Amino acid sequence: MAAQVDTSPAGAAAKPRAAWHRRLKQVLPTSDPFAVAGILIYVVFILVAIFADQLATHDPMEILFTDTYKLARSLPPGPDHLLGTTNVGRDIYSQLIYGTRGALLIGFAAAAAVVAVGTLVGLVSGYLGGWVDNVLMRLADIALGIPFLPFVVVLAAFLRPSMWNVVFAITILLWPNSGRVIRSQVLSVRERAFVEAAVVTGASKAQILFVHIAPNVLPLSFLYGSIAVGWAILTEASISFLGFGPSDTVTWGYMLQDAYASQALSRGHYNWFVPPGVCIILVVLAGFFITRGYEEILFPKLRR
Amino acid sequence: MALLSIEDLSLHYVTSRGVARAVDGASLSVERGQVVGLVGESGCGKTTLARAVTGVIPRSARIVGGKIMFDGMDLVTASRRDANRLRWREISFVPQSAMNSLDPVYRVGTQLMEVLTDRGGMDRRKAKARAAELFEMVGIGVDRLHDYPHQFSGGMRQRAAIALGLALSPKLVIADEPVTALDVVVQRQVLDLIRRLQQELSLSVIIVTHDISVVAYLCDAVAVMYAGKVVEVGRAADVLNAPDHPYTMGLYNAFPDLERSQRRLTPIAGAPPSLIDPPSGCRFEPRCPFSIAKCGEEPPLEEIRAGHRAACWRTGDAAELREKAADVATWEQREGVGA
Amino acid sequence: MEYIARRVLYTLFVLWAVASILFLMFRLMPGDPRAAFIDNTFTAEQQQLLLVQFGLDQPLYVQYGKYMVNLVQGDLGMSFIYKRPVVEMVMEVLPNSLVLTLTSLIIAYAFGMVAGAFLARMRGTWVEGVTIPVVLATRAAPEFWLGMVFLAIFSFSLGWFPAGGASSAGITYDSFWQQLVSPDYWRHLALPVITLTLYLQGLPLLLMRSNMLEVMEDEFVTMARMKGLSEWSIVMRHAARNALLPVATAFALGVGFSISGNVVIETVFSWPGIGRLLVTAVSSSDYPLAQGAFLFITVVFVVANLIADMLYAVLDPRVSHGSAG
Repeated sequence: MAAQVDTSPAGAAAKPRAAWHRRLKQVLPTSDPFAVAGILIYVVFILVAIFADQLATHDPMEILFTDTYKLARSLPPGPDHLLGTTNVGRDIYSQLIYGTRGALLIGFAAAAAVVAVGTLVGLVSGYLGGWVDNVLMRLADIALGIPFLPFVVVLAAFLRPSMWNVVFAITILLWPNSGRVIRSQVLSVRERAFVEAAVVTGASKAQILFVHIAPNVLPLSFLYGSIAVGWAILTEASISFLGFGPSDTVTWGYMLQDAYASQALSRGHYNWFVPPGVCIILVVLAGFFITRGYEEILFPKLRR
Repeated sequence: MALLSIEDLSLHYVTSRGVARAVDGASLSVERGQVVGLVGESGCGKTTLARAVTGVIPRSARIVGGKIMFDGMDLVTASRRDANRLRWREISFVPQSAMNSLDPVYRVGTQLMEVLTDRGGMDRRKAKARAAELFEMVGIGVDRLHDYPHQFSGGMRQRAAIALGLALSPKLVIADEPVTALDVVVQRQVLDLIRRLQQELSLSVIIVTHDISVVAYLCDAVAVMYAGKVVEVGRAADVLNAPDHPYTMGLYNAFPDLERSQRRLTPIAGAPPSLIDPPSGCRFEPRCPFSIAKCGEEPPLEEIRAGHRAACWRTGDAAELREKAADVATWEQREGVGA
Repeated sequence: MEYIARRVLYTLFVLWAVASILFLMFRLMPGDPRAAFIDNTFTAEQQQLLLVQFGLDQPLYVQYGKYMVNLVQGDLGMSFIYKRPVVEMVMEVLPNSLVLTLTSLIIAYAFGMVAGAFLARMRGTWVEGVTIPVVLATRAAPEFWLGMVFLAIFSFSLGWFPAGGASSAGITYDSFWQQLVSPDYWRHLALPVITLTLYLQGLPLLLMRSNMLEVMEDEFVTMARMKGLSEWSIVMRHAARNALLPVATAFALGVGFSISGNVVIETVFSWPGIGRLLVTAVSSSDYPLAQGAFLFITVVFVVANLIADMLYAVLDPRVSHGSAG
């Protein structure tokens, strides 16, 4: 039996490791130039986040003074302060650097959580079916019926502002999108020959689900993950801007809120509020580009 | 003079993998009131050739040579305006899949009216009467004009597509696999309808099909295409009863008859060659059970008898080849060769 | 009909679920629920009064029952800070939100559809190469940040538009309609609308473009060409009409999404709408007001989703006209 299966295309059933390997190769979309650009942007930001301590010139929250012991407030960009200072004398460049770490941390944590929950629900719901499927999908309906940002505002206000609460809020509202799509993918995958082969050879339910079916929905999970990173960063920025953001982390959203509340707009301190916005655009845009790459992998007929 | 005569037409597709010579110097003529079958396997260029006559070819397609003479005018070089004037009024089209070719968001009647008023210049009252007349003609209840395409059965959609094709009383109708998507019983009904209407209206029709029995049932003349070229052409009865090209002989074995389907079917082994890089010499040679050394050179399409032409070096032995071709074993020997 | 009935039931189910979640959230959160909305400067007497007033001295299921009954009757309680009925306060600002959202959406979709159809025709040219990344960037930008940049440039720097609010100081209106036709109101509305429009136009544009590209390859469009119909008929009557279906649905969905996203844009421009009401209510721990504002946003959101579904059914005969063999 095993020998027969090996020579057929269904051989994947006998070699789950090969299946994972094959899928992992598809996980990074490197054939599309836009996707490559997106990955490059990510790499740069990730490096900035990792080496924030080395790249920053000041403590982002420290109130700085000039050589003449005056408060270094609202300084224009210059050699000492690459992007100038805030109205209370904090170094904007250093905030931007540490803000990268904060934003990416929240972005990736939320994306990971969204994808983990979405994939798990999709797999279980699609494979088990029945009442489990029904309950999970009704939960998804409810989560999708909740207006996103208002809910995060209410939740963040209740849970005390912190990074993990923002991640939590994003996760419980965004999982249904990936969960639903992965569920339908599981429904089609489980009818395929190699799954049947695994059933015949007596694999356990968990084995079939995680060894045979899961690798096939992995690219979809990553697609939704790359969308969720951008969503999470945008959401964090909005929440922070509204004043419900994490009080323990410097993020781009915090910088924008600070600038807005400190009259940076009327004073024309573009050096304060433009850079964080541009960083957010770049990261989210990178997510779009990578998504495009995944779509080419997943739906090759779209290629023109 | 023939109503339509295609002379040495070449049409290429520019693709990312290269230039595909979909139609490569094909000639064909259609007399007034004549039904001409255009047969061959899928991917042999027959649909492309037929669609070129309508003047609507895919974006990537280019006509690189030859003429399409219709009623004295060359459609290849005609101005947009002149060519457009003929569309649907003189040359209309009946598609393979009426489901996809009717606009899903408009009622079938509306789509008929659109052609009648926009292209036929009728006022609404006249157009309405004509639409009802057309539906009656193809055997659909007039009340169904108010239905949407998805509310029709497959056979009704095909009838509606025929009504649409005949709306402006064209001289030439091009039917692209008009019955392929239908089940056998409905196929027969639609073919009967086409034959009846063709005779009543003395239409000229080009029927594109991969099914030789459709040709036998409907056509006066037939052209057999292979790999972008016409390899045999003549009166339908002639070509079917006494084919001179081995490909035609092979096709004949490969399809069931509408009348008697007990005959054993033998597909031709292998597949048509790539049109990007076709074999030099006779293009059928790699799959031909009767190939000889000479077949490395390209055979011309030569007149064998009056009105019957074939492109094969062995037309002289045709009678002998036909006998061998009737034997299933001949084709099985070649199995795996061109695959 | 059965389809619509099912959708309405489903909408009611979601509304009920959200209302229940909200109830539990406000009462079962860790810590003393009172801490969230009772200032500790209050005397014990005042606190007790408030507890009774909000029914918090009763068991949870009784509270839930009352909450639901009141909800169905359209009673959302009194604002804790303003001492006014929540419904009244919400209804006062809801029109502002709707005006902002609908104006922006209509402009964004009108522009997006035309531009999207145009870009589809420009496929493979440099126009497409330049435009698409730019459009994507507008989708990637946080809308409140766009608002900030516009405020800094057009309001503070150039002085073209007021910096916030819905009316200039000293101006009052007798009715909403009077306000709606006043030039001052529209001058205040302009910048928020421009910002929101810029943020919203990307979706219909990209959607329309990809739909057009897909539909233009459809067989019925080829047929329309064979019929010799005019280019206008082919593109507008056949291709665009079909490409429009998902865009129309997206529009209805967009009403819900952008009302829900309005919390930030209304805050940036101090626009007195329901989103800003929610934010100020949450910030000041005005719990009945926050709950009411949130429920209203949810209703608009869910109803917009319902309309989107029904709209699709109306516009697509394949759904509205069942197959009748």
